[in-house]
This record gives sequence, structure tokens and C-alpha cells, in this order.
Amino acid sequence: MTGKWLQRMLPATVVLTLVVASLAGCSQADSSSDEGGEETAKEPYTIGAVLSLSGTYAGLGEPEKNTIEMELERINEDGGVNGHPVKVVIEDDATDPAKAQAATVRLIEQVDVLAIIGATGTGQTMGMRGDIDRAGIPQVSVAGGTVVTAQFDPLVFQTPWSNSLVVPFTLSRLRDAGITKIALMYDTGGFGADGGDVVKATVGEYGISVVAEQTFNPGDTDMTAQLTMVKGSDAEAVVLWNAGKESAIVAKNMQQLSMMLPLYGCHGNARAEFAEGAGDAAEGFRFAAGKILLPETYGTDSMSYRVATDFVERYTERYGKAPDTFAGHAYDALYLIVEAMRRLPEGFTTAELRDEIERTDDFVGIGGIFTFTESDHNGMSEDDLVMYRIQDGAWVLDTP
Amino acid sequence: MDSAALLQFAIAGLKNGAIYALVALGFTLVFGSTGIINFAQGEFFMLGGMLAVFFVRLGLPLPIAVIAGVLATAGIGLAFERLALRPRRDSGPLVLIIITIGGSMVMKSLSRHVFGGSELSLPAFSEGPSIVVAGAAIERQAFWVWGLTIIAVVGLTWLYSKTKFGRSMRACSLSHEASRLMGIDTARIVMVSFGLAAVLGGIAGVVVAPLTQTSFDVGARIGVKGFAAAILGGLGNPIAAVVGGLTLGLVESMSIAFISSTYKDVIALVLLLLVLFVRPEGILGRATREKV
Repeated sequence: MTGKWLQRMLPATVVLTLVVASLAGCSQADSSSDEGGEETAKEPYTIGAVLSLSGTYAGLGEPEKNTIEMELERINEDGGVNGHPVKVVIEDDATDPAKAQAATVRLIEQVDVLAIIGATGTGQTMGMRGDIDRAGIPQVSVAGGTVVTAQFDPLVFQTPWSNSLVVPFTLSRLRDAGITKIALMYDTGGFGADGGDVVKATVGEYGISVVAEQTFNPGDTDMTAQLTMVKGSDAEAVVLWNAGKESAIVAKNMQQLSMMLPLYGCHGNARAEFAEGAGDAAEGFRFAAGKILLPETYGTDSMSYRVATDFVERYTERYGKAPDTFAGHAYDALYLIVEAMRRLPEGFTTAELRDEIERTDDFVGIGGIFTFTESDHNGMSEDDLVMYRIQDGAWVLDTP
Repeated sequence: MDSAALLQFAIAGLKNGAIYALVALGFTLVFGSTGIINFAQGEFFMLGGMLAVFFVRLGLPLPIAVIAGVLATAGIGLAFERLALRPRRDSGPLVLIIITIGGSMVMKSLSRHVFGGSELSLPAFSEGPSIVVAGAAIERQAFWVWGLTIIAVVGLTWLYSKTKFGRSMRACSLSHEASRLMGIDTARIVMVSFGLAAVLGGIAGVVVAPLTQTSFDVGARIGVKGFAAAILGGLGNPIAAVVGGLTLGLVESMSIAFISSTYKDVIALVLLLLVLFVRPEGILGRATREKV
């Protein structure tokens, strides 16, 4: 009897154990980094963060979480904000807008946060908006879609370079290279479609026309059919807007079809996984991104260079690999909030915090130098971008 | 459109189609012996690629790492059947199908925790530039995809029609009860089917990883495609799975050539619905299926 019962319950127990184990892995993040709270008598300032620690954007959420935990320790060792320790409660949205929204409600209602960092993805960021507006809490998103700040909300700020910044930069470099006809490829997900729309809307201003337009779905495994269409057009370069592993497939398929056209990607390709995945097919691939990939591009005597090299060194020492651009976006989001808090007197409200974040002027971050205005909550300029080229598997500066 | 371009579209379609076919074979195999749809089939695809990368990173040479990846996936398939499905085997198909869905979630989450969230790369099986045939380029890895698909389908057809084991599997699909009365060890048949389905999924996963990279979340999408291919061809027959896979791949690439890349998945799914409307049993499926 017992034997049979055991046999019946065994699988259920195994599965339950596994589920509990994986949940425990997720919820570790919740209680993260509230060290340093004991020494100071002052009450902690609590910030919420909604990040994708699982799901499609897990690879982005992980460096973001690493960065927040590392910088938080540093902030609290330096005495926090005017003597108040800072605490960040991190929630996983599983790359799901509905879960991002639920996490936001929890952060607002149960944790009572002063500001929220995130979400990792554009869709998740937009899903949080209703509750952000209802509670009147400032939000600093680390998602790259143009829509985050283009659909303007006074409460929402954004640290990655939005497509409306990167697209004109890329198109102007194409114009300077004498290219007038491009093939445009993008994924049908949020980021790719957003970039594709911005390219189509602005390309005319640079005397360039789109002679072939091809899309693919996130998760597609082969783009030779789309590229055969491109090959049959008279395009002089291919512009690719995608932040996933599909970019490496496009590069490899182009090599396979012996297409010699220059391939321009975007800041979504600023990841070691891209160069590794595409191998020698990535040679000559160009993409615009911020300066963190090669800190000397900030200018070695600049403040930005010192901030970036210090961050890269500490991150590399702690996590055993160099930070990517996503780590930088989280760094900027955290410090934009913390610096604003430092400038405010005791007992500030969330509305005052929002106003103070908007008054950010020449903040030297990793993504660039931020200056917010009443109508610009992205705060960077094309000066914060450089064009990279992949050469011998590594990023080099692509000088015009 | 010139003939070289047309050939290129056909090659792209046949390459994707062969991948769908390998996954579809796994669906067919499990359906053939249990009458259920194994929604964890896509995760076997994911595990094959991820485990092969894991073994390469441990320092094993590529061929051994690839084989180890497939075998480890097979082990997980066997363990999944033994630990999660067998204890509930008398609960009816719906319960079993739901267990496979749960199993796929567990495998995906564990993979994310063990191997991380980033995409991983596996080197190509044979180095070198693509081979040009009549103006169309074929990458070397594509020959591995086709070769392994042919081996898989020939092997399975032989297993089904020529061996006692294969006949026992077919008997199981008709009636577990009757098979057991005839002296067939149905529990073993079901477990081996899951093991073989995991091998097929694993093979598809390792052979695709050099083309596309792999990550913990690739299973769901390929699972849907493979399932569609299996249904399109007709469940329960290896040849039908391959026909379904290749048809789906070709329709997708021809949609890009003649209509629009935006709608390729829509067109493929509309075709699937149309076929099911006219022939609910699939292109090569048998019209009548005896069910007890």
C-alpha cells in the first residue's frame, strides 16, 4: 500500500521539488541587497526594479540585476543618500507585460517604493504605465523602444539610446558612405518593428530609399529566402534592426549567399554573443552603440572615461566578464534616481523626486551624458554614439 | 525571378523543412505508441543543443560532445517518461498531455538556471565555405541536416515495418489493453518511444545549433512548427512527418519569394487549416483509425 502510494507520489514530489527550487532561484532577487541597513538609524529609501530575469530577455535582465546589486553595495558603503541607506526590491517579470504590471502593483501597494527602475523590455515597460500614472511614481526604463519616451509621459524616463536617436545616426553614416539605396530587414517583435518604422519614416531626409523590405519573426532559424529577395534588388547596403540571435543568422546567411553588401546593424547587436554566434561572417559588420564597448572613445581625459573604466573594472572583477551595454543602462537608471534623491531635502515626495530627475543636467553616465528637459526624457544626443565595426572577432571604431 | 534564385528559395525551404521534419518525427513516434501528443518534444530539441554546447565547454571534442548531448537528451526523455508519465499512465490521455506541458516548463526553467539566459554557439560540424550548385549556395551544415533526416526516417520506417519491436509499437497505438494481453511489455514500449523521440529532438537540436545558436527558450517555437508539420503530414507515420515538414518549409520560403516575408507564418498556418479541412487525417494519414 505504502509502496504504491510512494510510487504514485514520487514524480509529483520530484516535480514539486524542482518547481520550488526554480522559484527559490527567482525569489532570491526579491530580498537582494538590503545590507547596510543596520548601521544607520535613518529609515531606508526603497526603490523598486522590474527586470526580465527569465523568459526571452533573461540575457538582458541578468547584467541589469548584477549591476544594480553591485552599485547598491557601493552606494550604501558610501553612506547611502544623505545618511539613508538605499534598498532596491527586484521583481522578475518573466518577459511578460502582464507580470510586469502585476509586479508594479506589488511594488507600489506592498513595498511602497519611491521610484521604479525598468522594465527590461519595451512591451513590459508600456504595460506598467497605467499603474505608474495612477500612483504618480517616477519610472526610469531600461528598454530601448522609441515608444517609451515618444508616447510621452511626464513620469517616465529612459536610459538606452532610443531608436529615434540611433536611426538618424546610422542613416547619416550611410549617406556619408555614399549609399542611396538600402535593403531594410527587421524582426516583427517590438524592438525590430519600432526600428523599422523609424527607418522608413526618416530615410528620405538622408536622400536614401528603401528598395527592399524584409521581415522575420523572433525565433526564425533561416533568412536565406529573405536575403535572396534582397540579392535580387539593387540595394547597396543592408540595414538590420534586431536585438536577438537572428542577427547572427542574417550575417551567416549573407556569407553563405556570398553577398558582399555592407551590413549595418544597431545597438541591439552590441553583445559578445552576436560576434561569437556569427563567427567570421561578422567581419565588417557595422553597428552604432554607446561608447562603453571601447571606453577610450569617450576621450581618455574625460570624466566619462573615468566613470566607465571604473565601472568596467569593478564589474569584471566581481562577475568575471566585462559589462555589456545593458549593464550600463541599469547603472544609469539607478544613479539618475539616487543622484536626484541626494539633491533633495529630507522627507521629499515622489512628485518632487520626479521633478528633480527631470532637472538632471550633464549627468555623466555609462550610456552617455544625460540632460533631461520637460519634453526630452531620453536625454542623450548623437554625440553619445559611435559606429563600431567587427574586425577579427572584436569591436573596433569605424572611422568614417 | 531567375532559376538560381528559385533554387535558392527551394533549398532554404528544404533546409528548414528537414528541421521541422526531425521534430515532427518525435511527435509521430510518441503518438504512435501512446496516442498522446508530447508537448515536451520542443524541449528535447532545446536540450540537445544546450547539452552539446555544455559538453564542448567541458573540453570534449566536437563529435563526442554532439553524441553525448544527444545521449544525455535521450536519458532525460527516458527519465521523464519513467518518473512523470508512467505513474499516471492509467489516468487517460488528457492528464498525460498536461503532464508533458508541465514537463516542458520544468525543463525550460531548469535549463535557464543551469545554462543561463544568453544564446550559446556550437561550431559547424564541417568547416568550409558553402557549396554552389547551379548558382544557389548551400552551407555545409545543411547536408548534415538532410543526411540525418534521411537516416532517421529510413531507420524508423525499418523499425516500424521490419522489427518485432516496431510491430509491438504499432500494436500499442491501437490498444494498450489488447497488446498487454498479447504479451507485449507496453510499459517498455512507451518508455523506449520517449527515449527515441528525445534522440530525434536532440539530433535536430544539435544539428541546428551551429546554424542558429541555441538558448533555453528555443523549444516552444520549434515545437509548434514540428507539431504543425506532423499534423500536416498525418500523425503516426514517419514518411508523413517528413512530407509534412518539407511541405511546411517550402511553403514558408515560397511565401517569402512570391508574397511577403511578413505573412509567411500566416500563409503556412492557413495552408495547414485548409489541408485539415479537406483531409482531417493529414496529407498521408490513414482515413480510418481504429480506436478501442
